[in-house]
Amino acid sequence: MTTFSTKRTSHIGNLIVWTKKLPNFVSQLVVTIVVFAPIYWIVMSSFKGPEEIIRSEPTFWPETWTFGNFERLFTSTKYLVFLGNSLFLSISTAVVTVLISLGAAYGLYRIRVPGSGRIAGVILLAYMIPGTLLIVPLHQTLSGLGLIDSLTALLLLNVAFTAPFSTWLLRGFILSIPSDLDDAAAIDGAGPVRTMFEIVLPLLRPGMATVAVYSFVFSWTEFVFASQFVSRQELQTLPIGLSAIIGQYNVDWGLVLAGVVFTMLPAVFVFLLVGRFFIGGLIAGATK
Amino acid sequence: MIDVGNINQAGSDNKNRPSLVGLKKGNQKPVSWEKVFGFLLISPLLLILILTIGFPVISAVFSGFQDQRIIGSPSAFVGFDTYLKVIEDSSFWDALGRSGLWVAVNLVVQTVLAFSVAFSLQQNGRWSKSARTWVVLPWVIPTVAVAIIWQWLLNSNYGVLHYLFGEIGVDLGSPFGDPATALFSVIIVNSWHWFPLGAVVIYGALSTVPTEVIEAAKVDGATPGRIFWSITFPILQPVLFALGLVGSLWSFNVLDSIYLITEGGPLEASTTAPVYVYDLAFSEFRSSQAAAASVLTVLVLSVAALLFVRFGRPKEDA
Repeated sequence: MTTFSTKRTSHIGNLIVWTKKLPNFVSQLVVTIVVFAPIYWIVMSSFKGPEEIIRSEPTFWPETWTFGNFERLFTSTKYLVFLGNSLFLSISTAVVTVLISLGAAYGLYRIRVPGSGRIAGVILLAYMIPGTLLIVPLHQTLSGLGLIDSLTALLLLNVAFTAPFSTWLLRGFILSIPSDLDDAAAIDGAGPVRTMFEIVLPLLRPGMATVAVYSFVFSWTEFVFASQFVSRQELQTLPIGLSAIIGQYNVDWGLVLAGVVFTMLPAVFVFLLVGRFFIGGLIAGATK
Repeated sequence: MIDVGNINQAGSDNKNRPSLVGLKKGNQKPVSWEKVFGFLLISPLLLILILTIGFPVISAVFSGFQDQRIIGSPSAFVGFDTYLKVIEDSSFWDALGRSGLWVAVNLVVQTVLAFSVAFSLQQNGRWSKSARTWVVLPWVIPTVAVAIIWQWLLNSNYGVLHYLFGEIGVDLGSPFGDPATALFSVIIVNSWHWFPLGAVVIYGALSTVPTEVIEAAKVDGATPGRIFWSITFPILQPVLFALGLVGSLWSFNVLDSIYLITEGGPLEASTTAPVYVYDLAFSEFRSSQAAAASVLTVLVLSVAALLFVRFGRPKEDA
């Protein structure tokens, strides 16, 4: 009798714990599914053979694993060329954006040059003009500079559209470094250049990492400019190469999905390495 | 020597207003090396912006007064004719209206998603800790890949979502091919791509809310809703304001997701303003008209942004 009742209460106790945890658990499950299910499905599909992939009753785990799709990706498309271009462009965008936005943020929010408030306003204003609306006049400007059909044009544009936001992100980091440090450096006889490079910049490393990741990802996914201003195949980036595969007459889904997997992979890889710093930096920069 | 002395004094004597003292002393030497250095640091960004945004904007305004067709072809000055042509084109206004809808629904969907995800990121436990990093994955995936992923999931012949919904008796049809659902379906895809950024920023802002205050409110018997609106929300407001402004501009600007999935169709059902401009320039080869439409769109957008800042900006004293 007694054992029975204790069993019952513990059941009820469990039930209460469960109902309290349930909403949490459900929301965690939903978020996990929303993020990973599409990715899981693409990766699984890319390993399926040409018959299995278009079966009307899909298999949730490939019956027979094949690397045929990936083989075709490397033999029938210029994947490696696109990958090289994308890597080159994204890394150089990241480096240049870090340098330029660091300079701008330092000048505006640390040295506070005369009129810095107004200059910051103008930069934000410029940032508000949608880039996609400027394609036509940009075409004229770039051909005037002789930059059409070059990665330099894309580098210039990517930097122009990542640097203003990055400058604003760095503002949060710069404001969080006490200005007493500069004063102390000045007392020790350090000029503005030395103060910047030896005192402040080392403390800005998390901010620089955040900006680097942001501009890398921006450039990695950028499509509109890359499709408009570069036409030579040997200069095309991954997104353009990928859209060209799907643009062909009969969609070869196996090949397309293999392309998708290999377009995601490098970015995901970079993110797994430095993602934690990026998230921390984004939060720190945006909430100050 | 004198310069160092100035900074010295500025730093040590007058902690409250060091810059003021610096300026006064600076009168003897009109421009200090530090300020020059500051301008040197800012100038590369300004140069790039002038080159890639300032100059094209001016050239778009002028191009709007001409009648150029294919980019680079000869053109003549036609006064306001081209601008009028755009203003009289009902598709232009339809596209702007669709852009308004696009921005508004994206904002709502992404805010709801981002908030609910941010709350679950805030929990303790292993899941929340790891999710704080991987939740950003959809944003890292290139837009082209995102577009293909969702076309594949929703494909009406072999799509897994189509199949799963069919199993429970719901026929999804072809969501991107039906004018009634095309715009909304692309909004879902775009929201999947962008919500992580909002979620992470909101999560960050949530963690700045002091827990003691919330605990105290709980002790006083405040409901969770009351706590959110009276404590959490006011603290989040500045971040939400910035996020709303930047996010709306970003989503207004989206061309790639729409173009890659529906090309603005079917029957212009998903032709937002950027798609409209893009089509004018590169399908119909009316580059002057496209430039004029861009200028007009930027004007409308600026008014909208000003209104947003005017009415959405959190009160300073709050």
